[in-house]
Order: sequence, then C-alpha cells, then structure tokens
Amino acid sequence: MFGPLLYGVAASSVMSGTSLLYATLGEIVGERGGIVNLGLEGIMLVGAASGFAMTALTGNPYLGLAAAAVAGTALNLIFAYLVVSRRANQLATGLTLMFFGLGLSALVGRPFVGALITGLPKLHLFGGGGARGGLLNYDVLVYLAVPVSVLIWWLLFRTRWGLELRAVGESPAAALAAGVRPPRLQYQALALAGLLGGIAGAHLSLALTLTWAEGMTAGRGFIAIALVIFAKWNPLWAIAGALLFGGAESLQLQLQAAGADVSPFIMNMVPYLLTLIVLIVWGWSRQTAAPAALGRTFFGVE
Amino acid sequence: MPRDGAALWRMLSAQTAAVALVALIALSAFSALLLAAGGNPLKAYADTVVYVFGNAYGFSELLVRMTPLLLTAIAAALPARIGLINVGAEGQLYMGAWLATGGELALQDHSAFVVLPLLTLLGFIGGGLWALLPALLRVLRLVNETISTLLLNYIAPLIVSYFIFGPWRSPESASYPQSPAFVDAARLPTFFHSRVHAGLIYAAVCLALYWLVMTRTRFGLEMRAIGGNPEAARRLGIPVFRYILIVMFVAGGIAGLSGMAEVSAIQGRLVSELSPGYGFIGFLVAWLAGTSASGIVIMSFLFAVLSSVGDMLQITQSLPFSVINILMAGILFIVLGRRPARRTA
Amino acid sequence: MARIPVMTAALAAVAALWIAAPASAQNKPPLTVGAIYVGSVNDYGYNRSMKDGLEEMKRNIPGLKLIEAENVPETAESERIMEGMIQQGARLIFATSFGHQQFAFNLAKTHPDVYFEHAGGWMQAPNFGNFFGATQAAWYPMGVAAGKMTKSNTLGFVVGVPIGYAIGNVNAFEMGALSVNPKVQTRVVVTGGWSDKAKEATAAGALIDQGADVVTMHVDSPATIIQTAEGRGVYSIGFQSIEARQLAPKYWLTGLGFTWGPFMTETAKSVIAGTFKPAMVRDGLGAMMTIAPFGSAVPDDVRAMVTAAGDKVAKGFNPFTGPVVDNTGATKIAAGDSWGGDKMGNFDWYVAGVIGKAK
Repeated sequence: MFGPLLYGVAASSVMSGTSLLYATLGEIVGERGGIVNLGLEGIMLVGAASGFAMTALTGNPYLGLAAAAVAGTALNLIFAYLVVSRRANQLATGLTLMFFGLGLSALVGRPFVGALITGLPKLHLFGGGGARGGLLNYDVLVYLAVPVSVLIWWLLFRTRWGLELRAVGESPAAALAAGVRPPRLQYQALALAGLLGGIAGAHLSLALTLTWAEGMTAGRGFIAIALVIFAKWNPLWAIAGALLFGGAESLQLQLQAAGADVSPFIMNMVPYLLTLIVLIVWGWSRQTAAPAALGRTFFGVE
Repeated sequence: MPRDGAALWRMLSAQTAAVALVALIALSAFSALLLAAGGNPLKAYADTVVYVFGNAYGFSELLVRMTPLLLTAIAAALPARIGLINVGAEGQLYMGAWLATGGELALQDHSAFVVLPLLTLLGFIGGGLWALLPALLRVLRLVNETISTLLLNYIAPLIVSYFIFGPWRSPESASYPQSPAFVDAARLPTFFHSRVHAGLIYAAVCLALYWLVMTRTRFGLEMRAIGGNPEAARRLGIPVFRYILIVMFVAGGIAGLSGMAEVSAIQGRLVSELSPGYGFIGFLVAWLAGTSASGIVIMSFLFAVLSSVGDMLQITQSLPFSVINILMAGILFIVLGRRPARRTA
Repeated sequence: MARIPVMTAALAAVAALWIAAPASAQNKPPLTVGAIYVGSVNDYGYNRSMKDGLEEMKRNIPGLKLIEAENVPETAESERIMEGMIQQGARLIFATSFGHQQFAFNLAKTHPDVYFEHAGGWMQAPNFGNFFGATQAAWYPMGVAAGKMTKSNTLGFVVGVPIGYAIGNVNAFEMGALSVNPKVQTRVVVTGGWSDKAKEATAAGALIDQGADVVTMHVDSPATIIQTAEGRGVYSIGFQSIEARQLAPKYWLTGLGFTWGPFMTETAKSVIAGTFKPAMVRDGLGAMMTIAPFGSAVPDDVRAMVTAAGDKVAKGFNPFTGPVVDNTGATKIAAGDSWGGDKMGNFDWYVAGVIGKAK
C-alpha cells in the first residue's frame, strides 16, 4: 500500500507544487529588491484566466502560456509604477492589486467558462504512458521548474544585476550612493516577478485542471508569500518548500484515497502553521535572512 | 483640525471634491471596460441609484453591508495609530464568530438578556485573543505583526470549518455541514423589517469610542506619540509594550464583534464562508480614510454602494459580481498614486 | 477652485443617469422568473442541469422572462440578489443550491406574493416549495456499469462535502457494483467543498494512483474529474448533467443527469394560474433523473444490464433493503427493514466494500 501511496503523493506534490514554485520564485525576486507584493494572488488569477482564454481562442496552450506571462508582467508593472515611482504604501497597494486581479480575471475569463481546451501536453520521459503515467510524465512547466529555480538563483547570486538588486533590497540609499539606480532595478525585478506569477497561474488552468473558474487559485498566492519566508528568500530552498507545501495539500487527499482518516482542514493549516513556527524559531535565534529594506514595510522588528 | 467653521467646511469640501474627482475618473475607466465587455454601465448605475436610494430595502442593505466594514476598518485603524499593521481582521472576525458560537451552544436555555451580552463578550474575546498572539510575538521581538496576522487569517477559517464538520456539526441537518441554528435568544435583533441589525449599533459605539479616545483622552495622545516616534515615547515613560498588547487585543476584539454579528444576526449559525474579504476591505477602508473616524464612515459607505452596483451588474447584466473589484481597485490605485503615504490625520 | 467643475460634472452625471434610467417599455411578460446558481452554468454539471431545465421552461411558456445570476454564494449575499430580482419583477424564484435555502425562506416570509422553489432542502411554507431528484437509488445502475467495466476491481468516488445524501449515493453505487461483481471496492476521497477544481483534479489523480480504473463523483461540476480521468486513460461516470459526456470522448461509460424542465414548467404554469401548491418533491429515475447515453467503450450486454437496472429503480426498487452491513461489519439495516426516501439524509456510514470514513 505504501508504494502507490508514496508514488501518488510524490506525483501530485510535483503537480500542485509547480505553480507554487513559480509564484514563490517571482515573489523572491521582488522581495530581494525590497518590495513585498501581497497581490500575488491577483497576478496568478490574471495569468490563469488569460492563459485559459488565449488557449480557448487559438487552440494552442503555448500561446496561452505566453499570454499568461504577458498579462502577469503587465499587471505587475502597474504595481511597480505605484510602489516604485509613486512611493505608494506597499501593503495597501498589494491588497488592492489582489482585488483588481480578482475582478479583472473574472471579467476576462467569463466568456470562456466551460470551454474545452487542450492543455499543456504531457511529455513522456523515460518510458511513460498508461494510467500510472510512467516515471516522468508531466508538462513542460514541471520539467522547467527546477532549472528555472536554479536560473533565478544564479541570476540573484552570480550576476551583477542580482548583486545590485540585492543591494537595493538591503538599503536603497546605500545602493544609490554606490551608483546603482534602485527604481530601474526594482521595475525589472517586478516585471520578472509578474512574468513568473502569470506562469504560475497558467499552470493551474492549463495543466493541473483544464478549466477556469473565478478565484480558482484559492489562496495559493498567499501560501507562496509564506513560502518565500520559509525558503529564506533563496530560490533553491523554495524548491523543497514548494514540494513540501504542495505535498501537504495533496497528502491529505492521497491519504484518504488510501483509506486513512485525516482531517482535510488540519492538513490545510500545515503550510501556514509551519511558516509561523519557522518564523518564531528564527526570531528566537535572531536570524533574519530577510532583505533589510523589506524591514520597514514588512519585517521591521525594532 | 481647523478651528473655525468656514475653514472646516473648506477642508471637507476639498476632500469631498477630491474623492468625487477620483471616483469620476475611475468610474469612466470602469464604464469603458464594461462597454468593452458588452455591458451597459449607465443602466447599471441607474439601476443602482434607483435600488439604493429609491427604496427602503435597498438603502437598508447599504447599512447592512457597511456594518462589518466599519468594524474591521477600526480594527485596522486603531493599531495603525501606534504604527502597527493589522491585516488580520479577517481571521479575527472568524475567531470572534467561533467563540461566540461556542458560547451559544453552551447557553441554549437562557433569555436573550443573558445570552446576547455574553455572546458579544465572547465575540470580542475571540477576536481579541487572535490578535493578541501576533502582538505577543511582536513584543517579544520574534515576528513582525504584518506577516503573523496575515498567516493567522488563513488558519482561522480552517479552525471554523473543522468545528462545523466535526464537533459542532448540526445533527438536525446532518446532511449539510454547519452549526445548529442559533436559538432565538441568541439572535441579534433587527430593525424595521430589514436586515439592519444591532451590529450597526456596535459599530456606531465603537466608532464613537474610537474618535473619543483618539482625540479627547490622554490615551489617544500617548498613542499618537508612539505612532510618531516609539523610541521617544518610550523615553517619555509611555509603556509602549503595554499599548501594543492592549491595542491589538482591542482591535482584534472589534473585528471579533463583526464576526459575532455575522453569525448572530445575518447567518443565524456558524458556516464556513462568513466573510467575502471584509477584513481586507476594512484595511483598505482604514487606509483610505487616513484612519480618521469620519473618513471610515464615508469610505465604508462608498464600498457598500460599490457592492450594490456589483449586485445590479450581476442581476441585470449577467456580469460576474467580481468585476466590481476592478472599480474598487481602480479608485484605490488612483488614490494610492496621487498622494504620498501619509501618517494619521 | 476645483469645486465648480466637479459640481458640474456631478450634476451632468446625475442627469445622464436619469436619462438612462427609464427602462425600455416592454410588453408585459406572463411571468418573470428569477434563478440563482451557485456556480457557472457552463460547468457541465449541476448548474448546467438547472439552466437546461429553466430554458426548457422558458421554451414551454412563450413570453416568459428569465432573470439569472451565476456564482451566487451560499451566504447572505444570495438574499440580496434574490431581493433584487423581486424588485425587478420576479414572482417565482428558483434557489437552486442547498445553501440558498435559509435566505430564500427569509424572503418568502417578507414577500407572501412571491413564490419560491428551493432545490435540495426541507423547508416549506405556503409560498415555498422544495424539490430535488431522488438520487441515491439512481446510483445503483451506475454501480452496475462500473462493476462490469472495471478490471482492477477498484472504483473511485470523489465527494465534495460528506453530507448524508452524498454518502447514500456512494453506498448505492457500491451496492450496484457488488450486484454484478462481488470483489469490487470503492475508494472515497473528500475534497471538502462542492467546487474546488484543483483539489478535484488532485483527488481524481489520487484515486487513480490507488488503482481505480473507473472514477465518478458527487461535486457540483464533474468536468475536472472527468477530464483528469480521460487524460489518464481511465473510465469515468458522470453526474449532474448528461452533457458531461462531451468531456470524455473515449472513456465515458454513462452517467446520471437531472431533468428539471417538466417540473419547472409545471410550477411556472401553476404560478401563472394562481394554483401554486407547496410540496416536497423528490423524484428519481424516469421523472427528475435520467441515465446518460452510453459511451462507445460500453458493450451491448452491459448496456442492457444497466438499462434493466435503471428500469427496476424507476419502478420502485430500493437497494437499501435489509440486511445491509457497513464497512466495519455492523448491521445498519436489519433484515426485513428498509430505508425510504425520508432517511436518505441520514447516512453516516458506508456499506461494506467502500473504503473510507463517513464521519
């Protein structure tokens, strides 16, 4: 019994964790630049809706993926304009963005509810196929998830751009003094974050399910925000975190299918409780891996 | 606050004009969007005006909608005065509802005079405790309250769901997970055959107290000192930590009251979906209002009207209710972009 | 000062509103009917079935006006929406989802001249009636189809909310399967809500991972689960609307669908004629429910068996006739006893053969 259970959990963790991972990566990039985006949920929804709409219109899921990326980027640029150029309050703007995305995605998606689409095709690797799916039988976004995480890690920690961005995230004033232009970097970071968030949403509507429904992200954007902290703003840790959090979500369903008695509600609390506990532990040991400029907005423990 | 009447009038008119201008811009953009989506914005607005101002029920529904917003807005505004960010009103609302329901289940055979005050108290305590935890974490320098209140927002509804699917599942409708219906003694009274309920009185009282405390008492003064400069306040001998704990508890308690009112007056039982984001909207209301009491009233009213427009769009034009979020967010975007982040009024 | 242009703009806006406000004068329809759906009508499921029924009613009564609202949550919000419809002239309201009951009932008290029909509840009043399909027994023939077509002897059932009626559906399904295949088992996964697409996809996947080669469901929309099964080459049986078969061209077996149209037409006519009588209507196969067309994978002999079982049920066969043992070994329905329609909401146990916990 454990064999199929473990396999099932692993497989569905990967599937549910993928969109979480992309969203988390995007948020990490933004927060490394000192900007927290509470509206990630809205970005994902817009990505999901536009991706679905484009796929329904053109029949090509890859075009849908592109549309989702563009939509997410565009929406986050609005956010960027407000918080970077207009210096608007990040939290209030982020929450507003969430509502905006909620409404916009509902409007965009409405004509397409119930449309039947061909989603992102599953690509067999190493002899897949059949009901069990073989060893590796996922869509392209799943396969790219880890490489993209490594890419983002490399971008943040091994390139000049990443260095400058992190400098801005630590102290915009110091960065400015060193000749870096914070606004330009923050815009770029937020554009990238929007792109990743849009893709994260698209995975939900083009791969995990083949539908669009209002509000279908069901809080995943906020789980991603928690996941960023849990992963200590490090893209590599985010992979483990996404598997863990994605796993918690699907574990309880798998356990039920295997016949175990598990409360879905307790299980759903796990990501949030875990993050809270981790935060308390860090606070206790005085570690803060957070970019310092996130401080005033988000993390300033005096 | 301007001293003489004329200056006050000018200030209020300028503010109203600014709000109206912003609303008009956002409204035009939104209307364009609706037109593109095949809707008829003018008809929707017209229907709304008729519905909301043309009949008593429509107007009463505005008040019903405002009630939880007023309370959750204070829940965000109060801590903001001492520089704390409470985005947790959503969770505090649920926990207030939860504790109140627990009390109701234990107090089935008493009169309303006993039950209602007790339930109100329980609602306050439930929300208050839920806010106290983040406050403690902040005071102990462990976790910033922004993230802790945010996380707790998602845990609270799960706790509620656990109880209504489990220990508090209603036996009479074992076919549907919800708590048993509140006995009549536990229902907050409503007025004038509408759904306007005593929660509105709670909100009014809280608003009045909020204004009173902030502008006329020593506490308000000390709170503003903390909000301005915590270090200086501490050096002046103001017990900052004590304020953090008490203020968060009270703020959470006020949000908890709105939860109690939801289950006692509107729903009549504990259900898993109590709030369509009242906590978040309350935060935005408080922010827009600059945490002033009068601003909270005006902004809550505005959001309530927007919700009615959403209803109309849905009924008369088959557009999803959710599109109203575009208008609401649009207005907020414009406001956020216009003025620099400012402190409390 | 900014005041003057703003005032002018405001006045202009109000004027525009007043010009736009007068609704176009129309011929008065014989009846305006309002309907609220908990989800989208394009769900190939419950809401679609309601929509189809209402459209049939509309076709049968020329000139009838139908006002609809989708995605109406099961909260106090629904009361507002229904009130709005009444303000727009509706005199018959269909509250199509269980959670709308209390709020529709509240309105029935304050609007004695408006009639309400609620789906799936129990409340009644002079102007408030209740209707639903008697689904449990209808699942028996579905079990027959699954029991015959499965090769792994494992069936999968995704349940949204573990209410008594849903558990009863699972039970009848398993009993039908057992009647043609004594070794078959049904695994149950509960998602916790009537409509969470991501969870449904994961739940269906989990059941398939545990060996199920026929998957079915009791959730608002069968679409996601059927699509997941189809994508993994697994048979599916639909529920709520027979239109769901469009989603699984290769692996569709059969399904259950609601046929609300005749009832809705009758009700509307009674309102027009002034002869509305509140009732608690529960009809099954042959009246409010129907068996969906078979998929190409189903051989003729199985089709015959399923159809025969369906006819049996339509004629009154009740699978819940004792002795019936639950999956812990306890006898839940004694020999000679039987559970009738009034007890269908009381299930808090699964029959032997079902793997899952009902409480």
